[in-house]
Amino acid sequence: MVTHRNRFKIHKIDTMLMRMIGNSKGQFIAVLTIIIMGIATFTALNMTSVNMDNTVDTYYRENNFPDLFLQTAAVPSQEAERLLRIEGVKEAMGRVTLDVPMVTENENERVNLRLITTTGHQEELSRSTIIKGKMISGDRNEALLIEQFANARGIKVGDSIKIQVGGVQRTLKVSGIVANPEYIYLMENVQSLVPDDKTFGICYVSEQYGQQAAGLIGSFNEILIRYDENVDEEALIDEVEDTLDIYGVKQTVKRKDQLSNAIIDQELTQLDTMANSIPILFLLVAGLILMMMLSRLVKKDRIKIGVLKAIGYRNSQVLMHYVKYALVTGISGGAIGALLGMALAGGMTRLYLDYFHIPLLRIEFYYSFLLYAVLLSGLFCALSGIIGARGVLKITPADAMHSEAPKSGKRILLEKIPFFWKRLSFSNKMVSKNIFRNKKRTLFVLAGITLTYAMMLFTTSMPDVMDQMMTDHFKEFQKMEYNISFRSPVRQDAVRDMEHLIKVNYIEGKLEYPFELANGNKKQSVNIIGLDRNTKFYSFHNVRGEKTEIPKRGMLISENLSTALEVEKGDLVQIKSYIPGKADVYIQIKGIIKQTLGINAYMDVDTMGELLLEKNVVNGVYVNSKDPDINEKLIRAANIASIMSVADTRAVYDQYMTMMALSVGSMVIFSGILGFSIVYNATIVSLGEREMEFSSLRVLGFSKREIFYMIVRENNVIMIFGLLLGIPVGNIMAEYSSAAFSSDLYTLDMSPTVNALIMAGIYTIGFVLLAQLATYRKIRKLDFLQALKNRES
Amino acid sequence: MTILRAESLSKSYQMGEIEVKALQDTSFEIREGEFVVILGPSGSGKSTLLNIIGGMDLPTGGKVFLHDEEITAYNERELTEYRRNKVGFIFQFYNIMANLTAEENVELATEISQNPLPIDEILEAVGLADRRDHFPAQMSGGEQQRVSIARAVAKNPEILLCDEPTGALDFHTGITILSLLRKVNRDMGKTVIVITHNADIAYMADRVIKMRSGRIIDDHINENPVAVEEIKW
Repeated sequence: MVTHRNRFKIHKIDTMLMRMIGNSKGQFIAVLTIIIMGIATFTALNMTSVNMDNTVDTYYRENNFPDLFLQTAAVPSQEAERLLRIEGVKEAMGRVTLDVPMVTENENERVNLRLITTTGHQEELSRSTIIKGKMISGDRNEALLIEQFANARGIKVGDSIKIQVGGVQRTLKVSGIVANPEYIYLMENVQSLVPDDKTFGICYVSEQYGQQAAGLIGSFNEILIRYDENVDEEALIDEVEDTLDIYGVKQTVKRKDQLSNAIIDQELTQLDTMANSIPILFLLVAGLILMMMLSRLVKKDRIKIGVLKAIGYRNSQVLMHYVKYALVTGISGGAIGALLGMALAGGMTRLYLDYFHIPLLRIEFYYSFLLYAVLLSGLFCALSGIIGARGVLKITPADAMHSEAPKSGKRILLEKIPFFWKRLSFSNKMVSKNIFRNKKRTLFVLAGITLTYAMMLFTTSMPDVMDQMMTDHFKEFQKMEYNISFRSPVRQDAVRDMEHLIKVNYIEGKLEYPFELANGNKKQSVNIIGLDRNTKFYSFHNVRGEKTEIPKRGMLISENLSTALEVEKGDLVQIKSYIPGKADVYIQIKGIIKQTLGINAYMDVDTMGELLLEKNVVNGVYVNSKDPDINEKLIRAANIASIMSVADTRAVYDQYMTMMALSVGSMVIFSGILGFSIVYNATIVSLGEREMEFSSLRVLGFSKREIFYMIVRENNVIMIFGLLLGIPVGNIMAEYSSAAFSSDLYTLDMSPTVNALIMAGIYTIGFVLLAQLATYRKIRKLDFLQALKNRES
Repeated sequence: MTILRAESLSKSYQMGEIEVKALQDTSFEIREGEFVVILGPSGSGKSTLLNIIGGMDLPTGGKVFLHDEEITAYNERELTEYRRNKVGFIFQFYNIMANLTAEENVELATEISQNPLPIDEILEAVGLADRRDHFPAQMSGGEQQRVSIARAVAKNPEILLCDEPTGALDFHTGITILSLLRKVNRDMGKTVIVITHNADIAYMADRVIKMRSGRIIDDHINENPVAVEEIKW
């Protein structure tokens, strides 16, 4: 007897499967697209995330990124060595940091440079990597410039730059362009919000030059420390602070709080969250579509399934036949997606590295992700397939021999309201009945549209939210046009001298110093700002939105600070003074205020001076001025450390918004494709199920177009409900994200705006209509009379 | 030698909201190599009987034996094995797979059976050698039914169960299908059971079992079965 078995032969049941896929190409491709998008995102983002984590780690390690940064008053050079005696301290060094204005050809431009001293030694902490040129040598006037700034301003090796130090203009020669792990994200301070490479840069100078410029000969004003792993960080910090206390510790910053590192960490965490949440969403949708498709296919194939079982195919074999459809989709989508993702990952990592100016290129391909991705999507789809096709098990071979008993018809809810029902036209009655008849599918489409709209709402809200945040902070909360900081404190009456320098509409003195606030073991380094009690530059509101004034004694703190310190109104917080000999002070919290950007405490300027510094001093001013030459005039003043113009900050921010529009755009397309696939697939499935019904309608004289409009109306009714539901869902997503995205740096309130409600609505409707247009082709191709014949046979 | 024996079979089932007593106290025996016609109007229970004999359905009461094996005692897995190797089905509406060619439809069955016959020979025997690569949509009803017969026979089963095999065919095509079944019965020695409401087909049978309202009302040996070509309806 000849057997026709062959190990490598494709079984006929699989041939059937392949032809089945071929016959439903549109749906197959729609599901495949979702899976490919999901898995490509998964692979690309995860690989980028791993690559970035590794690169940043390596960069930090190779360049001796410190664990601790202490801003101090003058610490004698030899003190750094003494810190090494503290157990756990591996390396310690001192340096001088000084912010100075750079003199540019455009006199109205405000450019700040941070001078940082470097020894150029290989083992130096926070060592720079030379990108171009060479290290500074003996020449005292040589400097290294950070890459971002040099690029933004077109400064090359060999060029000269002019800076203003203590009222004197000096020239530095750029000997090299460098990158530094401390300034991967180049930002002047927390208030900057977004990097502006053109107006703030880092300039590394020799120790001698820096000490001399800062008037700190033989001393440092910043100590960097690296400690052993597994050391008790808090105890070590206490000991270091105690040791340096006599010189005055202004601020202690741990590696995790270091501005650039904190932002990168946040970006990488966000990347990681995205890498694992977006793909799941896509797979869920793909899974749901597969479930719906297969459950309908099984119903349609009742006889075929019965015959297969009658011939002798096992339940499991027949079930697998349908599950394989899902599996083929899952595995091919997974493989294509993973390969695409890998291809994207290289480019994405490069993009990130370029964006952050990390002078390392470590793109490794983790082939394990390929396996993960295929497994993940294969398992997900197989599971959806099993759930979708489980109806196979209920069909007995005998069942397949006789036709299905008619479903018992039921009245729908609407029919019980005769007033309403009687007024509906016949086709509207059909539409209503269909919506209620297949509740699962209606719910699926509803959920799909709700999700699409909610996601669009969320993304289109982002620009408005950011804009609102800026307005809240720079218009409602702060009202000054310029924020000017002095290099060293001056007596309060000196504020008036400013009026001789520039044309002033209104001016107030301020005190702004970093302090460490503590409540038990909860600590936070923040700037305390001392203001005139009747300040016109700030408008404080408590968490309930009521206007609040600065108290004579005590202080106001921002909401995020109260959370960080776990304190409430009425509590006392300890403020560590860095002024040698000054004891720590306890100050009562008189109010908790709303502040969208930054984390701060506010006090009466006199009280602050008295308690924390010295009486009657200020170290900066807030100014409203229409003087067009304000920069030019102030840059020459000896005691001006920085001039921040609110208008400039906003301009930088607006530029940043253009970049954001791009990512919002891509998210809208992502969400749109999801919505499209859901509506397209649900409609195609619905068409298949209702061939008989439509055929009967055709015989009754309905045109294809009228039938199409009936389906469109069904979908549109569901869409309206979807949009309505999308608003609260979008709100929940926003609330959740507000909490997730808010940090020490900013507090986000992402409630959707009216503009976003409208835009997201337009996009969603657009994609849903597009999906329906795509199904029209199918309706035209449906052979209605053939459908009637098939059922008879 | 008895190949199939039914003892006091009964079957009732729900159809929509109605309970149907499809089969009541039905007993009979079929001998090896017989061509049996089970005759009855629609609703007489003959399809139900066929389903139970074919291991596609279980009776509410009673037993069925193939040789001396009680198939009504089989579990689902054993029933599948039984359908796979012992019986072949031929359906009124052919029920062949629309997206497989004639040959592939036959292979669909042979791939899972233990002892299949060579496909080429079977296709030749049913007269489809030159239509093997055609899809069902490209074939006439008679040709599709031949595919169905080829599919059933190729598994090399002991019994062929045919549910109104000519029900959807015109007279002439019906006759060719019946003679094909007779050929399979005579030349290959297969027991063939045909259920039909067409009384004329009974003339060609070795044994005729008549049914009405779920019961057997007559069971007799046809001493002089006529040649298929002499049948008319």
